[in-house]
Amino acid sequence: MSIDLRNVANQLAIAVVSITLAVLAWAAFASYFAVPDLVPSPTATAAAAMTMIENGSLFWHVVVSLERVLVGYGAGCIVGVIIGALMGRIHLFGLFASPLLQLLRPISPVALVPLSIIWFGIGDMSRYFIIFYGVVIIMIMNTAAGVSSTPNIRLNAARCLGAKQQQLFRRVIIPSAVPYILTGMRVALGFAFMGIVAAEMIAAQSGIGYLIMQSRTLLRTDIMFVGLVTLGVLGAIIDSCFKIAIDRTMKRFMEYQVNA
Amino acid sequence: MKGSFDTPTLTLPGRSPRPGAAPQTAWQELSLDRVSVTFNAGQPNEYRALDGADLRVARGEFYCLLGPSGCGKSTVLNLVAGFIQPSRGRIQIGDQAIKEPGTDRVVVFQDVTNALFPWLRTDENVAFGLTLQGVQKAEALSRARDILGVVGLKEHAQKFPYELSGGMKQRCQIARALLVEPEVLLMDEPFAALDAISKRILQQELLRLWQQYHMTVIYITHDVSESILLAQRIGVMRRGPGSAVKQEFAVDLPYPRRPSDGAFSALYARVEMSLQEEVGVSLHEH
Repeated sequence: MSIDLRNVANQLAIAVVSITLAVLAWAAFASYFAVPDLVPSPTATAAAAMTMIENGSLFWHVVVSLERVLVGYGAGCIVGVIIGALMGRIHLFGLFASPLLQLLRPISPVALVPLSIIWFGIGDMSRYFIIFYGVVIIMIMNTAAGVSSTPNIRLNAARCLGAKQQQLFRRVIIPSAVPYILTGMRVALGFAFMGIVAAEMIAAQSGIGYLIMQSRTLLRTDIMFVGLVTLGVLGAIIDSCFKIAIDRTMKRFMEYQVNA
Repeated sequence: MKGSFDTPTLTLPGRSPRPGAAPQTAWQELSLDRVSVTFNAGQPNEYRALDGADLRVARGEFYCLLGPSGCGKSTVLNLVAGFIQPSRGRIQIGDQAIKEPGTDRVVVFQDVTNALFPWLRTDENVAFGLTLQGVQKAEALSRARDILGVVGLKEHAQKFPYELSGGMKQRCQIARALLVEPEVLLMDEPFAALDAISKRILQQELLRLWQQYHMTVIYITHDVSESILLAQRIGVMRRGPGSAVKQEFAVDLPYPRRPSDGAFSALYARVEMSLQEEVGVSLHEH
């Protein structure tokens, strides 16, 4: 436990030093080399952020974006796990679905923005769909991979303890896929955050993506930087929480790595 | 690791019909008749693992299959477990053919990491077989903890597999098998990956459990000394491809056996020579 804590403290200290150095470099670059309108200084960015925090607009943009990420991501995870599990479970379905997935995978969520507008209009449904799409592909692939890579010995062990097909699936195959599903969820969360800007390019009136897009029109790079930094910070915080939440579960499965 | 164990207080309830269980009446013999197994038949990588293999194991017997690696020992075990079907020949318990895995024949695997369920605690791992049969979770867990006492793991009931040592994991696997009351315990080099001390303790405990539960044990090993320490009969297998049991040795020594005994070492020499013939042949050809 104390070793764990020391590790966390170490990592935090390293993160603080690394970020401080980067901000100093940014400040030096902004004041000595760059045109202020193109590269706002950290202080100018902080000032813009303070104003937006004080009038509550930053908080509101964050909440709106998070809500969109959450809906698209949640739906993507649920649907992805179901389809992925079916692909792993029903051999023929998996066989026929795989090539389609390979075709869909290179199509980025951004490429689907126009189509999404035609299908779902310019409301939130479109934005959910963009995020959902990025998430669901990853979740399907990871779940299918997890379901089909259950160790044979584990299946055999369960079978001689009396497990029938249905029980094997529910009590052995799906739990065995959990590390793959959790890893997929973590990767997909990153994609959901990347997708939010694309999603909010669609006639949005709020959200971090909207903030970034709009500050381009107004040539307010300081606000743009506030948006970018907010995206980075939010994503990193949520990813860290996620990592802490799944570490215990992963530890059970990753025996060799833990002992190494 | 402690070698001590609780005094067994378990009474075995009457054997009820279980899923996949072959024998309905008391059987006397488990038999393989002229069994052949060919993998990837008709393909370029076709491999004949067993060819006309015969084997008879009496009910309640402790039988060791001994052979060089890759000789098809595990194939025999997989056949008896019902994981694979023979290409030719018959496998029966009494007069019932083995068609699928069942709780009357439970395997203890060498690879404990994959054999146990990493997301379940020790007692949940052990109770797994009972819960499959629809036994209430509380009841199953309580019976699991009783049997964990028998294998000396009572204090570790709440741990996850990754928190257990190799020897403890193997105890857990044995407890899990015992709880479904198998007629035949199939053991695939179960202690090969353990350190020498854990191995010796577990060998002794296995003998105790075998006598206490009146099980039939088919035990696979490539360790001559281990086979003489444990088995009533030893079958030495020909090296593959097309393997079969080529010679059997009866071990008429009282338990507990000691490698320092004269009779032990005399038999060791004979079994070792029989095994060496197989290893020797393979050394010449490769």
